Order: sequence, then structure tokens, then C-alpha cells
Amino acid sequence: MMLCRTIRTFFPRGLPTITPVTPAATLLRPLHTTHARPLKEIVVEEEAGGDTVVRGQYLPSPKSSLLLKPDREAGKACPLCALDLDVKHTDVLILSQFMREDGSVLPRRVTGLCGKQQRRLTWLVIMAQKAGLMPNLAPATSKRDPSKRQRSKKFNRYFDESTLPQ
Amino acid sequence: MSAVRRVQQWATFGRMWYLYDCKWQNPLDSADKIVPYLDGSHKPIFHPLNDSGDHVVVINSRDIAFPGDEWEKRVYFHHTGYAGGATWTLAWQLHEADPTMIIRKTIYNKLSKNLLRRGRMARLHIFPDDKIPDSILKNVSGQMRQLRPVPRRLDHYPQEQVENFPKIFDWPKDHVIN
Repeated sequence: MMLCRTIRTFFPRGLPTITPVTPAATLLRPLHTTHARPLKEIVVEEEAGGDTVVRGQYLPSPKSSLLLKPDREAGKACPLCALDLDVKHTDVLILSQFMREDGSVLPRRVTGLCGKQQRRLTWLVIMAQKAGLMPNLAPATSKRDPSKRQRSKKFNRYFDESTLPQ
Repeated sequence: MSAVRRVQQWATFGRMWYLYDCKWQNPLDSADKIVPYLDGSHKPIFHPLNDSGDHVVVINSRDIAFPGDEWEKRVYFHHTGYAGGATWTLAWQLHEADPTMIIRKTIYNKLSKNLLRRGRMARLHIFPDDKIPDSILKNVSGQMRQLRPVPRRLDHYPQEQVENFPKIFDWPKDHVIN
């Protein structure tokens, strides 16, 4: 009894947790010495007056050639609102564009979606992940095979998008 | 009987064997579709005493799909008849034990509750995967359409199709991709 009381007063906010850094986790995290895609490239130009100009020029994004440009109606600045598509949780080719490799959803400042669409997208991604439709977009340490899940999670399931708030 | 009338007689009264693939299908909706075929209600010559029901071969019953959290919430009741013999089994536990049982019980519960039910169930053949014995496969004469589209996993798409799919938004100006 005395021992318990002394421990609680010594750590008033609870016992500190020590998270072990497993070697496997550090090995599986991707390491880059340089960025996978640079923002700018260095351009060296010779001017007419004999001066050498070294500039940093923005590179076009790798997606620019495949970008969809829908006719934007007034009041529909968000990319998904302008497309006016009924996106389902099975449309993994669309949902995966808004995700990182570890299975997390990109923030609103990167996707450019409105609040309503961002919230709906997050729910659709959760549905697709629970249905086991995007096993390759998962944390590096997770098992990437839905059939290896435990108990009820290994069986197929689908979701009804009409239950989401409109 | 003339040849044309003979063909019409066979086409009307011959017993059909239908194939149904319940991969990624809801077993309750599938049962709603299968039961009229077992009854014979889908035929204009239907009468309960006509014995006009057809055979239905159900494959991939291991891959049925329930919506939402029904795997954890749906229960199947069984009583042995003895005192204290009531059991409530969750859908996922039953499916682990016998992958054909859920679709079998669903169809049994949807058929008419009369003495013809057992005979109609005998004309239902359920297989957990797509391995069907040759003796049954030889009889199959038609296929029933699935109710829900089968979803495709992202890693089952070819890599170049994923890369060349139209992009909905472009990266912001100073966004660094790691």
C-alpha cells in the first residue's frame, strides 16, 4: 500500500510510457537523402551582356499532363464538387489520389477540397480500408493481406454511402 | 406431337439448373432472388403442387459480404431441444465453422413454411468456393445475374492504369512530395 502511494505522488500524471524503438520499424521506414521529386531545377543561362544567370525554376508537377479540368460553375471551386460525381467507397482509383502511401488521407490544404467533400472523402477512405480494397496503402509494419486479418475482419464487407451525412 | 410442340413442351416443363455466384453479394438479397427459382414462381405455369421448381447451384459462398458491422451483430439461434440447449452464434463465428451455413439458413428461412420446403432445399446446392463436382457442372443450364458489382482491389489494377488515371487535383505550388 505504502509503495503504491509513493509511486503515484512521484509520477502525478501517471507512469511514463517507454515506447521501444524496434529495429524492424526503422528499417521499413523509407529513407531518402534527396527528395523523391525536386520542386525546382537549377537553370544556368548566358545573357547577351556576358552575364551568367543562375535561376531556380519551378518544375511542372508530374500530374499536370493527366489533370482533369472541369467547367467550374460559380460557387463550385472544389475539385470534387466541380466534377459532380457520385464517388463510392469502391472507386479506389479516385480515393487513392487523396492518400499517402501509409494509408493516411492528405490534409485539406493539399487536396484543396471544401470541408464537406473532405469529410465525405475521409469516411469513404475508412469504408474502403475496412472493406480491404486498398491493402497496398497501409503502414509499412502492417500485414497487407485482408485474408490474414483476425476473426470477423477477414470476411468481405461493403458499405452504404447513403448513410453518410449529405 | 409435332417437333415444334415437342420443343415447346420440353422448354416449358424441363427442369433448369441455374448457377449463382455469391461472391461479394449480400446473402439476404441473394436469397430473395434465389427463392422464386426454387419455388418455380418465376414460371407462368407455377402452382405449388406442380413441382415446377428448378435447381440452383450457389458457388463462392465463403465470399459473401454483409454490410457495415453485421458480421459482428447478426446472430443465429439454435436450440437442441434439451433443457439449457439454446445457443446464440454470431454470423462470423458460424461462417468460420461452416462457410455454407449462412446462405443455407437464409434461403431456408425465406422459403414457404410448408412440407414442400425440404424438397426445395434438396434442389439447392451450395459450394464454399468455385470447385463444383463434374456431375453437377454437367447439368448447369443457365446463370443468374449478380445483384451487386464485385469491387476491385487497388493492387489488382495494373500499375500503368493507376498511373495514367485522370488526376482530380494538382499539388499546391510549394508542396514537397516525400
